[in-house]
Amino acid sequence: MASSAAGGGGGGGDGDGDGDGDYSFAAEYDGPPLPYSLPRAIPLDLSRIPLASLSSSLPPAPTASPLPVVRPLTPSSLCSAIHGHHARPAVAAAQQSSSSAASARAGRTAVGAAAVDSPTSVIENHHAALHHSAELPSSPSDEEDADEDDYGGGRSAALPSKIHQTVVTFMETKTSSSLLQSSEDEEDDDDEDEALAHPSARSSGSPSLAHSDLAHRMEAVKSRGCFRCGKGGGFWGRGDKEACLACGARYCARCLLRAMGSMPEGRKCLGCIGRPVVESRRDSLGRGSRVLRRLISAAEVELIMRSERECAANQLRPEDVYVNGSKLSPEELVVLQGCQCPPSKLRPGFYWYDKVSGFWGKEGHKPHCIISPNLNVGGALDQKASNGNTGILINGREITKSELQMLKLAGVQCAGKPHFWVNADGTYQEEGQKTVKGKIWDKPIVKLLSPVLSLPTPNKANNHSGEEAVNMVNRLIPDYLEQNTIQKLLLVGSGTSTILKQAKFLYKSKPFSLQEREDLKLIIQSNIYNYLGILLEGHERFEEEAIADRRTICQSDPSSSGRCESELGNKATEYSIAPRLKTFSDWILKAMAIGNLEDIFTAASREYAPLVEELWKDPAIQATYKRRSELPFLPFAASYFLDKAVDISRPEYELSDMDILYADGITSSDGLASTDFSFPQLALNGRGVDEPDPQDTLLRYQLIRINNKGLHENCKWLQMFDDVRLVILCVAVSDYDEYYEDANGNVVNKMIESRQLFESIALHPIFEQMDFLLLLTKFDILEQKIRKSPLTLCDWFSDFTPLVSRNLLTGTSKSSRSSSTASSLAQMAAHYIAMKFKSLFQSLTERKLYVSYVNALDQESVRSAIRYGREIIKWEDERPVFGSSETTYSEEPSSYSH
Amino acid sequence: MASVAELKDNHAKATAEVNSLRERLRKRRQMLLDTDVERYSKAQGRAPVSFNPTDLVCCRTLQGHSGKVYSLDWTPEKNWIVSASQDGRLIVWNALTSQKTHAIKLHCPWVMTCAFAPNGQSVACGGLDSACSIFNLNSQADRDGNLPVSRMLTGHKGYVSSCQYVPDQETHLITSSGDQTCILWDVTTAQRISIFGGEFPSGHTGDVLSLSINSSNTNMFVSGSCDATVRLWDTRIASRAVRTYHGHEGDINSVKFFPDSQRFGTGSDDGTCRLFDMRTGHQLQVYSREPDRNDNELPTVTSIAFSISGRLLFAGYSNGDCYVWDTLLAEVVLNLGTLQNSHEGRISCLGLSSDGSALCTGSWDKNLKIWAFSGHRKIV
Repeated sequence: MASSAAGGGGGGGDGDGDGDGDYSFAAEYDGPPLPYSLPRAIPLDLSRIPLASLSSSLPPAPTASPLPVVRPLTPSSLCSAIHGHHARPAVAAAQQSSSSAASARAGRTAVGAAAVDSPTSVIENHHAALHHSAELPSSPSDEEDADEDDYGGGRSAALPSKIHQTVVTFMETKTSSSLLQSSEDEEDDDDEDEALAHPSARSSGSPSLAHSDLAHRMEAVKSRGCFRCGKGGGFWGRGDKEACLACGARYCARCLLRAMGSMPEGRKCLGCIGRPVVESRRDSLGRGSRVLRRLISAAEVELIMRSERECAANQLRPEDVYVNGSKLSPEELVVLQGCQCPPSKLRPGFYWYDKVSGFWGKEGHKPHCIISPNLNVGGALDQKASNGNTGILINGREITKSELQMLKLAGVQCAGKPHFWVNADGTYQEEGQKTVKGKIWDKPIVKLLSPVLSLPTPNKANNHSGEEAVNMVNRLIPDYLEQNTIQKLLLVGSGTSTILKQAKFLYKSKPFSLQEREDLKLIIQSNIYNYLGILLEGHERFEEEAIADRRTICQSDPSSSGRCESELGNKATEYSIAPRLKTFSDWILKAMAIGNLEDIFTAASREYAPLVEELWKDPAIQATYKRRSELPFLPFAASYFLDKAVDISRPEYELSDMDILYADGITSSDGLASTDFSFPQLALNGRGVDEPDPQDTLLRYQLIRINNKGLHENCKWLQMFDDVRLVILCVAVSDYDEYYEDANGNVVNKMIESRQLFESIALHPIFEQMDFLLLLTKFDILEQKIRKSPLTLCDWFSDFTPLVSRNLLTGTSKSSRSSSTASSLAQMAAHYIAMKFKSLFQSLTERKLYVSYVNALDQESVRSAIRYGREIIKWEDERPVFGSSETTYSEEPSSYSH
Repeated sequence: MASVAELKDNHAKATAEVNSLRERLRKRRQMLLDTDVERYSKAQGRAPVSFNPTDLVCCRTLQGHSGKVYSLDWTPEKNWIVSASQDGRLIVWNALTSQKTHAIKLHCPWVMTCAFAPNGQSVACGGLDSACSIFNLNSQADRDGNLPVSRMLTGHKGYVSSCQYVPDQETHLITSSGDQTCILWDVTTAQRISIFGGEFPSGHTGDVLSLSINSSNTNMFVSGSCDATVRLWDTRIASRAVRTYHGHEGDINSVKFFPDSQRFGTGSDDGTCRLFDMRTGHQLQVYSREPDRNDNELPTVTSIAFSISGRLLFAGYSNGDCYVWDTLLAEVVLNLGTLQNSHEGRISCLGLSSDGSALCTGSWDKNLKIWAFSGHRKIV
């Protein structure tokens, strides 16, 4: 329809922009200047009208410029225009009807008013009609319907996708050579047109742009030369240029690299980096150019093209896409583009979407294609969405004539203007009735005739139920979005590797790769030697003690001294080791003393498996193991692994999940480890606590665990974590009576050490504004030992005075009772420790510390801790919106869940 | 057998003696060091190098990283640059066209260092994953366009802070790490050849942050550490450091050999750069900036580089400055940070092309910039 209008308008014109225009008679007037303006026939299409009036409201072109200029619309101004239109559809419609009713002449004057009179200028028409028909199948029935055509034409003019076609440009037609050139331009591709529009586009985009620059550029445009050097005009020079995707400026091969630099977003000039691409060039994104390929190597071109396709600035902007009258959010756009059958070649514009059947089309038009149904995008479908006038409703949308024809072909009874419900699989039923009346797509004739009526048929891949479409948890998220949506949680402290491993088990379908398992296996196998070494050390001590004991016995009992002497000579105590194993155990001890135990035994672990077995089964070691509570340096996990030491040291040993959890560390270097995950929505629904949030599945979280061994004051690499959202500090509550020996030989309480770590992290300048979550771990061990060793063993907790009756505290009551008091005492202790940390944090930073308890070996407990972390991030996100929310939230962390 | 108390006593005595000897050594050195480079060259009547602000211009901006740039390295022959950024990518740039030739996605995005192999065919990088990954630039990319790791050098127990290939040896690489050691690797087998520091008593007592290999005698290298010392190592003798250089009062962030291979420069958290003589162990010169008028803390030196002649010392500072020092007269002749279109963030790494014609700076503003001399005078 538009093509016919444009053809009619431009038929007598002096140089229609369309490719079929005949230029031979458009000779330039080179006589004396005329005192009056020449009457001109201007090519016209309906879609241009509202824009022309809009552009006339812009300030006039600078008078300094040698050529009068119409300011074409930049994408940003277009958007505002669209939004304006959308906000006032009635006004737009009124404008439409008035202008179109007044026939092409009215439109012509509108354009003429916008275009400053110039005898030499030619208004060039873009391939509006061409684009229009290509983008949206128009049917004869649409065109016949005058009413619909009018309205539809008006609306389509407001669509941003159309706007690039209505950019008005000037063409210098001074010489025959340039005339020739321009005609060839049209054959070439329409990119050239944007190039012409460039200088004014730039000036309207940034009004402060120097006018002298503009003049220079106009010169360049006139000769179609390079924007930078101005050279390379003329017929032969024009081929080897490359245009900017955002502004259309063209550069010759010599200037290209300087003007565009390293092209982080593809072919854009330096000033345009970060600006969106012109819609008409979206198709050429990532398509290599001759010029570039000549200038730089293929690998370099490939990388440029890749960044051009993938960088965030070149993506479709969600605010430009309207579905059912509401602007899309970034998440909705991802859902739309990431679904099974996305709408092909999505452009900015107004669309309607039928969630039930998956029909998709432009507003005011019949369906264009069928996409995945049940996507949660856009607003509610309007009855007038496709501007039908048949009175028949499908899923609440009044259908168009061509659809009605199709329905009739499909044998659907359409008398009496019924209202239908059509499902994604093509089954339909009448509104208010339960029975399915049939399937639309069943008849082959429908599928045959649909293309004729340019109506869509369902895609084969479309046949799946709606629930799947909604819950696409493991959907691929494009790279450029992932960068923005990933939320980083930093894990520091003791027991962090276990929490990270739990998170992997919780959220990963395949928690550990084969390589990781192999690594862990090696860690466990070599750790066995470590544990054995500690046992051997303990064994030596016990043996010495035993001998000493015996000696004192001997001395106190001189009667049996002779026997004693012989026994001492044999040294055959309970803790004596079999001579065969002596060399092996000595070797382990020696390696431990030097400190390269791991180096020796990692590689050789298999070789010594039988020896380990024998050593472990040796009664002396077993006797030592029985007294393991007296070995302070034996880690908690050691007994777990030592119990199965024989199995572990075998080469065919297979890890269980529990082994992985108990293993010390994650990687052999025990450095940084991280895991990405997102919260599965189903798990949330199952709980019924949280509202299912569409953003949740999109948001990805990254748990980063760093080793606190490397943390010290002035730690430089912590600066790398300035983009972390939450710092999770883990402190084992059972540390209060544990000690370790630092490098200088001082014995330090582990809890005091944790406090120091806590202080240094909390005060680190990088984490100045960060939220902190303190996880208190190993509550179960605290429970076990709170009664044996009071909390006040640690200096920091000296003022712990629980309000417990005396006999409960001493635990003289019955066993069942005492265990319950121990747990309540442990709880009090844990709360006390939490309070200590909170007040410490408050005094250090004057901020609030979130505290939670976790048992790292319990999956549910870790899950709730991580979810708590997510909640904290959410609160922080919402805080600026609800200023008073702090008070309500502050209650939460202080209420204890245990 | 001596009792524990006795041993402790002996140990304390020995420590005290070592300290007193060290103090004597320091005094003796100070006595012997009657002049520094600045005073000597002034006495010789050397005129300082003069620079116009337009003499050094930023001729290329390498954009493409989406995170802070942490490290860069030039190829010895081609004009290629590899840069490592916190966005988890290594990018290989063609410095002439300012285009990317490779973009390598890393498994661990917390990368701190990168290096080009002498033949320019592979790059190495290391970071918080405590491993050094080697990528062969000629290997086939997978479906997503990612290069596979060709070697993984694991064995460090702390982050890898710096790595450098031994010149003229494709197969050898030295890394420095937060575990207080440096390691010489055989790249082909991914095995450790020798470990410098660690359990040996003459090793560093803090995180090692940087290293530089002597280009004329590739057996020697120096390492700078958080313990404020630089140590000289001989790769053939891993057991002990050849020499230890004291003088700095803060973490040493950067060491670089002087072009004549007999001296080396350092940049430190104390805000100074220093020049040491490798053989005598003397500190030849301190390059320290004037204290700020507002009495702020001195910005720390993040990275240094020498010009080919050695007359100029380029030093990046944490506040975004990049000073060009005249090494002879210890004067700042230019500040790249104040020039037109300079970086907007801290300059984290510096490097000179092998022919000395261009300087590349990497910054936390995500960009790299290439600077070249545009004047017409010869630098004397």
